[in-house]
Amino acid sequence: MRDRRMAWFGIARGAAAITLALGVATIFIFLSSETPWTALRYLLIGPLVTFRDTGISFNAQYLYQILAAMIPITFTGLAVTVMFSANQFNLAGEGCVLTGGFIGGILGVYLNINSGWHAVVAVLIATLACGLVMLIPALLKVKLGASEMVTSLMLNFILLNLVNHYLNFQFADRSKGATMTKPFQPTAIIPSLVPGNSKLTVGFIAAMAATALVAFFLYRTRWGYAIRMIGINESFALYSGMNVGGTIILSQVIGGMLSGMGGSLEVLGRYQTYLWRDLPGYGWVGITIAILAKNNPAFVPLAAFFIAYLNKGCLLMSTYCDVPVEMIDIIQAAIFLFFAAEQFLSGYRQKLVVKTTQEDLMKLDASLLNGGENHA
Amino acid sequence: MLEQLLNSILKADFLFAVLRITAPILFATLGAVVAEKAGVVNIGLEGTMMITALFGFLIAYWTQSWILGVLGAVLVGALLGLMMGFFALKLKTDIILAGIAVNMLGAGGTIFLLNMFTGLRGNTGNLVSPNILIPTISIPLINKIPILGEILSGHAILTYLAFLFVWLMWVLLYKTPVGLNIRAVGENADAASSVGVSVLKVKYIAIALSGAMAGFGGAFMSMYYSQGWNSGMVAGRGFIALAAQAMGRGEPVGSMLSSLLFGMAQALRTKVSGLQGVSSYLVAMIPYLVTVIGLVLYSIGQTRKMRKHSIRPVL
Repeated sequence: MRDRRMAWFGIARGAAAITLALGVATIFIFLSSETPWTALRYLLIGPLVTFRDTGISFNAQYLYQILAAMIPITFTGLAVTVMFSANQFNLAGEGCVLTGGFIGGILGVYLNINSGWHAVVAVLIATLACGLVMLIPALLKVKLGASEMVTSLMLNFILLNLVNHYLNFQFADRSKGATMTKPFQPTAIIPSLVPGNSKLTVGFIAAMAATALVAFFLYRTRWGYAIRMIGINESFALYSGMNVGGTIILSQVIGGMLSGMGGSLEVLGRYQTYLWRDLPGYGWVGITIAILAKNNPAFVPLAAFFIAYLNKGCLLMSTYCDVPVEMIDIIQAAIFLFFAAEQFLSGYRQKLVVKTTQEDLMKLDASLLNGGENHA
Repeated sequence: MLEQLLNSILKADFLFAVLRITAPILFATLGAVVAEKAGVVNIGLEGTMMITALFGFLIAYWTQSWILGVLGAVLVGALLGLMMGFFALKLKTDIILAGIAVNMLGAGGTIFLLNMFTGLRGNTGNLVSPNILIPTISIPLINKIPILGEILSGHAILTYLAFLFVWLMWVLLYKTPVGLNIRAVGENADAASSVGVSVLKVKYIAIALSGAMAGFGGAFMSMYYSQGWNSGMVAGRGFIALAAQAMGRGEPVGSMLSSLLFGMAQALRTKVSGLQGVSSYLVAMIPYLVTVIGLVLYSIGQTRKMRKHSIRPVL
């Protein structure tokens, strides 16, 4: 009884937080748009349906695009979930997505494997490389006690400049106007799942598989247990004999690998050449997703779908109305603040707890009374 | 090439540039110091600088007064700090997540707001005019001294203010009741609370001060350093400030020294990238690399010290 009520309360509170965040967005839409109602319509239902003079119709292509957009952010969401579960505020997912994308892209151009394994090998090497990159903040944290938050933030900028250096001075295709590599070989491109230009690739299946794997890892293996235990109480984990240092390193390396895999799948799936010039932002979105999913990998795809949906809505809103696409950042920040707020609606929860306890006590009294009567 | 580099560094204008570049980092670092002293991690400094830079510039543009612009930026910074405080202290959002939310507002929300207020995209373009920029002052007497005058005189008012604030922050933290409370709360909130200090109030004060400091930094960036606002302008300075605070052991003077180190790294970057045959990207890494190396060295020192302390009682 109590558990069910609390679960419902959790869901209702999440819904209230999201509604509040969308409410904030609505205020800004009304402040900035000449046609706020149309803008709102595009934001909320635009990603699913197309509006025509004849009426509205379901738009499958948009749905594919949303699912495609889920690929990188599912990976970064999982990465953050693993790291936050161990209480590691490592924020270098951003840099790892970029690095993974770059390494995957370079291998896509220069590796010669004449089969579908080309893409697989490229993605796996990018994944491993990013795992190695994350060793830097992880080792500095465990060996020297340097805050992983600060080193990982610096690492993002270091990786960005390193990648840009190699892109510009080693791998740039100078025959093009913009800075980009030579085109990927056809064998390196991640195949699409559906017809059309939606970029919904095999990467989506990989993302779902990764979700299942991470969920299994965190909740069904002893390493996953150690990670969660360290997140709950590091001292307890230490005194009960767990390898705390090793587990902290493991969680961050896994975080790096997942981010790198997401980045390489995105680059090889969406583009023809490597052309990122700046941090793509998926790492930060991953944090939003981990919060929405309450650090539970099983909910990550759901949260990723939600964010991808809002993102598409914002994109449509900026294309067809006069609301800038950066609206998504305001919505995300609002979700962040309310959704992660433990005390949000706490007064109501308090009432709920009191009510449930009173009911339980009354039931207990009644059963005792009955029991007593039977005895007599 | 090295000779060329040395020639350009061993000049008064290099040191002048170091002071100019250090100022915004120093403001943010002081913000990190006061928050950390009260036991609050303000990772939102980066976003606060972006937002205050925008509002400082816009308010200065609307009022055509740089003073009002700076004051507006400081006010907005303090309000952002209070907002973080409200979510972190009242609603119990993790303070780091609250900071990341502010950074998101700083990255995308500012572009949105700029567009909403002015219709411009990504930068303030030609809104800039001389009377909304922070004026520079040349100090009498000192500007007559050769070399030293070139280095110390002719800075923007806020540059001097940044270094003055180091002293003021020290006075605040170590010579006033408020500072004592801030340190007590950061050291042991329960103990402070048991002697009647309102922990919440002190934390609100500290984080609002932290935001206000970042506000000065933001105003400096848009109203002097870049002479306008653009979407990538803060470029990690708020994050560097966190590192500078850690390296400076959370003390105002120590943090100033590490800020100067980062300022120097950044100034070196501009000098080196002017040379032939040097990758501007690798040079751009310098401040961040220096930050990591500095943090590593500091952490090695800390671990050694801790080991020493943990051995002593045994002996």
